[in-house]
Amino acid sequence: MTSKLIASSLRQQLAKSAHQFHRQLLSTAAAAAVPAPAEPQHHGDSTGIMMKGVKISGRPLYLDVQATSPVDPRVLDAMLPYYMSRFGNPHSRTHMYGWESDLAVENARAQVASLVGASPKEIVFTSGATESNNISIKGVMHFYKDKKKHVITTQTEHKCVLDSCRHLQQEGFDITYLPVGSDGIIDLEKLRSAIRPDTGLVSVMAVNNEIGVVQPVEEIGKICKEFNVPFHTDAAQALGKIPLDVEKWNVSLMSLSGHKIYGPKGVGALYLRRRPRIRVEPQMNGGGQERGIRSGTVPTPLVVGFGAACELAMKEMEYDDKRISALQERLLNGIREKLDGVVVNGSMERRYAGNLNLSFAYVEGESLLMGLKEVAVSSGSACTSASLEPSYVLRALGVDEDMAHTSIRFGIGRFTTEAEIDRAIDLTVHQVQKLREMSPLYEMVKEGINIKDIQWAQH
Amino acid sequence: MASSASAAAVRQSKAEVLSLLRSLLRTARQFPDYNIKAYTKRRTIDAFRHNQNLSDPSSVASALSDGKAQLEIARRQAIVYSLHAPNVRSIMEMNRELTC
Repeated sequence: MTSKLIASSLRQQLAKSAHQFHRQLLSTAAAAAVPAPAEPQHHGDSTGIMMKGVKISGRPLYLDVQATSPVDPRVLDAMLPYYMSRFGNPHSRTHMYGWESDLAVENARAQVASLVGASPKEIVFTSGATESNNISIKGVMHFYKDKKKHVITTQTEHKCVLDSCRHLQQEGFDITYLPVGSDGIIDLEKLRSAIRPDTGLVSVMAVNNEIGVVQPVEEIGKICKEFNVPFHTDAAQALGKIPLDVEKWNVSLMSLSGHKIYGPKGVGALYLRRRPRIRVEPQMNGGGQERGIRSGTVPTPLVVGFGAACELAMKEMEYDDKRISALQERLLNGIREKLDGVVVNGSMERRYAGNLNLSFAYVEGESLLMGLKEVAVSSGSACTSASLEPSYVLRALGVDEDMAHTSIRFGIGRFTTEAEIDRAIDLTVHQVQKLREMSPLYEMVKEGINIKDIQWAQH
Repeated sequence: MASSASAAAVRQSKAEVLSLLRSLLRTARQFPDYNIKAYTKRRTIDAFRHNQNLSDPSSVASALSDGKAQLEIARRQAIVYSLHAPNVRSIMEMNRELTC
C-alpha cells in the first residue's frame, strides 16, 4: 500500500516536472524566434549543433557508406509516387490500385534480377540482408534437417550469419567456422577438407563489411558444385559495387540489401536458385506472399526504390568504381605521406576500393574517433561500434590487440567529393599527431625501444 | 558531330545540348545538400564530356532525351530536397579551418 502511494506521488511529481520542462522548452523557442545572437542551436551557419554533449560546427562529412548510404535522389524520385496516390497493396487482385502496385513490384524484381544475372522468379523480397541471411541459413538447414547436419562458414562473417549459426548449434547442428589468413581471405584447401557428406550449406560473404576484402567466390562456388553442396553468399556489400553473376559464382542463395546501394532502408532480397532447386523453410508464416517464403505485404515504395537503385547501380558501376578507386588512393596516399605506422587491414589487392580500414599505431582508437567528430567514420561494423571490444573480424585476421583497437573504417561512396577526402586526411592526421604527442609509447618507439619487449608490471 | 547530315540540324541540336547542360548545372546548384549538389554538377559535366564525340544522329538524340529525363528528375528532387533541408549546413561549406 505504502509503496503504491509513493509510486503515485512520484508519478505526479514527474508529470509536473515534465510539464514544466515542456513549458520551458516552449519559452526558449519563443525567445529564439526573437533575433537573439547568443542563442546557439538553430540558424546553422556559424554556430553549429550540440548533440550527445559534443559541439559540432556543421553536419559532419560522411565516410561511413558501409553502415548505410544516402538515398540517391533518382531513387527517391522513383519511390515518391508510391507514397502518394499509388498506395495500393500489390496483392490486391480486384482493383487498379493493386494492379499498378503489382506491376511496379514485378518491374523492380526484374531490375534486381538483371543486376545479379538471375531470373525475376528467383528473387524474393525481404526486409533486408539480415532477414535474407536468416532465411538462407536457418531455412535451408531446417528444410533438409533429416539428412544434413553441418554448416561451413567463416570467422569474419556478419553478425547475423554467425548468430544464425549459433542458433542452429543450439538445435544440435554442427558448424565449422573457417579461419581466414592475415589478409582476410579464406583458404580454399581448408574449405575443401571441411566439407563432409552431411554438409548442408556453405556460407561465405562476398565482400566483407568491415575490411572490404573480396572472397574468391567463384572458386568457392566451383568447390561447392564439385561436392554438390548449396552455397550461400551474403552479397549486401558487393551488390552494385563489383560485377555479380549468380551463374558464374554458382550460388544457390544470395542475400542482398537496399540501403547499401543508395536505396531505401528496410528492404532487401534473397536470390533462391530454381535449377537445381533449393528449398527453404519460411521464417515468417502468413498470407503466402513471395511464394510463401516471406509472408507479409510487400512494401511497394521500398521495393520500387530498391529496383531503381539496382538499375542505377548497373548504369553507374563503372563510373562510380573509377572514381571511388581514385579517391581511395588519394586518401591512403594522403594519410601515409604525413603519418608513419599506418596499416591497412585486410588484403590490398583483393579489396573493394570503397572500404579502407586503417589502423594507426600508438594511438587509442576511442580517443581518435572522439576527436574526429567532424568526420562520420566508424571503427568497424555499426552493429558492434557501441562496444569498446576490438572487432572480432580484425582478431580473426590475427591483428594485434593494440592495432585492432585503433582501427578506423573509411567508407567512400558515390557522393564523396575530393574536398571531403582532403578534409578527412587533414583532420585524421592532425588528430593522430595530437594523440601521439601525448603518448608515452610513441615517445619510447621514437627513442628506439621495442614496446613488445617491455615487461609491464602487474598490479 | 560535324560529319552528320545537314549543318542546320547540327547547329540546332548543338544549341539544344548546350541549353540542357546549362539547365542541369543550374538545377544542381539548387540542391541544398552539399554532396548531392556536388555530385549532380560533376555527373552532368562528366556525362556531357563522355558524350561529346557522339556523331551518329540517333545516339545524339537518345543521349539528349536521356539528359532531358534526368533534368526532370533533378528539378523535382531539388524542390523535395529544399523542402526538407536541415537547418545546419555541411561543415564542408563552412570556413575551412581545423576546429578540433
